[in-house]
Amino acid sequence: MTFDWAIIWQSMGALWQGALVTIALTVLTMLLSVPLGIVVALLRESSLKPVSALATAYVELMRNVPIILVVYWAFYVLPILTGIGFSPFLTGVVALVLNNTAYNSETFRSGIRSIRKGQTEAGLALGMSEGQAFRKIVLPQAWRRVLPILATTWVTLFKDTSLVSVIAVGDLAHTALQIRSQSFRVIEMLTAMAAIYWLLGYPQAKIVDWIHRKYGVTE
Amino acid sequence: MTDMPANLPKGSALPEVVIEYRDVRKQYGDFTALAGVNLEVRRGQVVCLIGPSGSGKSTLLRCTNGLETMTSGEVYFDGMPLSKDPRKTRLIRQRMGMVFQNFELFPHKTALGNIMMGPMTVLGLSEEKARARAEALLAKVGLSEKAGNYPANLSGGQQQRVAIARALAMEPEVMLFDEPTSALDPETIGEVLNVMKRLADDGMTMVVVTHEMTFARRVADHVVVFANGQIVEQGPPQQIFDAPETARTRDFLSHLGWDG
Amino acid sequence: MELNLSAVLDSWRFLLSGLGVTLLLAAGVTVLSMVAGTLLALGRLYGPRWLSAIIIFYIDSMRAIPVLVVLVWVYFALPIATGLNLPPFWSALLSLSAHLAAYVAEVVRAGIQSVRPGQVRAGMALGMSRSQILRKIVMPQAVVRMLPAFGSLLSLAVKDTAIATVIAVPELMRRADAVAGQTYAPVEVFTTVMILYFLVIFPLTRGIDMIYRRISFLGRS
Repeated sequence: MTFDWAIIWQSMGALWQGALVTIALTVLTMLLSVPLGIVVALLRESSLKPVSALATAYVELMRNVPIILVVYWAFYVLPILTGIGFSPFLTGVVALVLNNTAYNSETFRSGIRSIRKGQTEAGLALGMSEGQAFRKIVLPQAWRRVLPILATTWVTLFKDTSLVSVIAVGDLAHTALQIRSQSFRVIEMLTAMAAIYWLLGYPQAKIVDWIHRKYGVTE
Repeated sequence: MTDMPANLPKGSALPEVVIEYRDVRKQYGDFTALAGVNLEVRRGQVVCLIGPSGSGKSTLLRCTNGLETMTSGEVYFDGMPLSKDPRKTRLIRQRMGMVFQNFELFPHKTALGNIMMGPMTVLGLSEEKARARAEALLAKVGLSEKAGNYPANLSGGQQQRVAIARALAMEPEVMLFDEPTSALDPETIGEVLNVMKRLADDGMTMVVVTHEMTFARRVADHVVVFANGQIVEQGPPQQIFDAPETARTRDFLSHLGWDG
Repeated sequence: MELNLSAVLDSWRFLLSGLGVTLLLAAGVTVLSMVAGTLLALGRLYGPRWLSAIIIFYIDSMRAIPVLVVLVWVYFALPIATGLNLPPFWSALLSLSAHLAAYVAEVVRAGIQSVRPGQVRAGMALGMSRSQILRKIVMPQAVVRMLPAFGSLLSLAVKDTAIATVIAVPELMRRADAVAGQTYAPVEVFTTVMILYFLVIFPLTRGIDMIYRRISFLGRS
């Protein structure tokens, strides 16, 4: 069995482009799903029952279905729902944002709830408005709890982007699999794919560990 | 029967009522926390609320500045009823200071920063003015050298003194204390009670929920005994502690091991 | 927008058998990954240095590489490298378990380390051996503390089975894809399948939550 490892070197350009798409997917999704996550978290805490119920239903749905299903679903439903043709890349982003926003909203919710009610009361007792108490007292304390979790979510998201390859988004996974089919260099390309993900993901995981150590709250 | 604040010259007319509770009731589902409380607090008075746990004292205190909403009844502050309007409520809260049982200092601010929070955020004071006010108050509670310390590096008693300074920074007309020493080690209780006594001597109107009977005996002008959400007896400390008129009061005091 | 529900109803048996494969695969993955993950955690905490190092490397690598990549590599590359030819279901079982085991290992490790050292000292003061302390004092408390995290791993096990669709394991996702292709009713089919997954996974996590709430006091020291 001969291995032609040179194929990896030859495909470096394409693989590198794939990696960039992966990173772009991750960044774009995070940029959208973090603010949206805060919005959904606040919606869940709304005193209007239908609003909080809807938000909760959305979050629970997204947490309990596979992402790959959301990707397929978005691929078929979005064009029908909106009448516009979405590019695979955009479809992928929509699916990932739908999923990630739900998880982020949970993160923000638990972060906000972890701050004792007494802190808000102390602010209110001084005459602050609810908004002031939230911004000046709860949020500054909550973000320390939220940051490590968001870091972990980032790494998970980075890996989850590989799932959009099933709808032919040109990310790293799709690119590597394409080259494999075209060149029949199975073991070389698959190993290269794993290795590149490893090279990109391992340092990220280590940084997340560091963030957890630095900012983590020990109970 | 109202009791004169200790620092008024003899023969003065009665000071005006600052806080009036009229038939205040609070229901939590089946549980009745307050069953119709009527009470007057006059300017310059130190009113101590005592009684067993769960008797409603803290609930009444928290109704005073709207942190708790009453089921029915009214609280009048300076002749005006508490409002449902959030803005009006905030204005009222600015005129009352509150000190909590577990201090509730903001951990992400230094001692000085904590005291400056209210004036800067709520009153809109400039940083220099707020800092000057804060430094003066920190000195008043005897903690000038801890200005740059974070709450994590302060003892319980020190944190509570900073909390008192934080409330005073808003220049309130009334100070509400919710079991201010219950979470403190015995050694540090004294330093907090001393600050409170000095505040009383300076003429501050204070409503204090406390278990510290010696403090109530010595500093209060008026003592109110709670049980089961109602006032069972109220009067000057000499009456309550030396010659209680109701069996309920005698019962409560004897359980505390109080023998005068 | 008209809904073509007959597309779904006509194939319900086909879809349901796919669900059966999903559940079977998920159960297999859960059992294997729990066993392997626990062994990995114990090896890391109590084994010799060199073993710890290898295990840490393995765990961190599995945290860095997507499941899809592992799945595809085991199915296509492993046979070429080792001559071992696994049918899709078993290949998926192997790769999904290997991946999840890393996460299980981390949960077990965190659970064990969260038990207060005072508990171990109390055991030692009674004259217990290290293994007795581990078995009778640490593990029982650790297991209770791990329950919430296990709940999310369980739901992850089920969700990851859907990825096995890319190597043609006949689980629910694959079946849905097939039916959608045949009936040209992807919206109806995928929406129905989404609800199916939800109905399976939601009770799992909620159930574990409820159990945890009942017995969490057992883990508090």
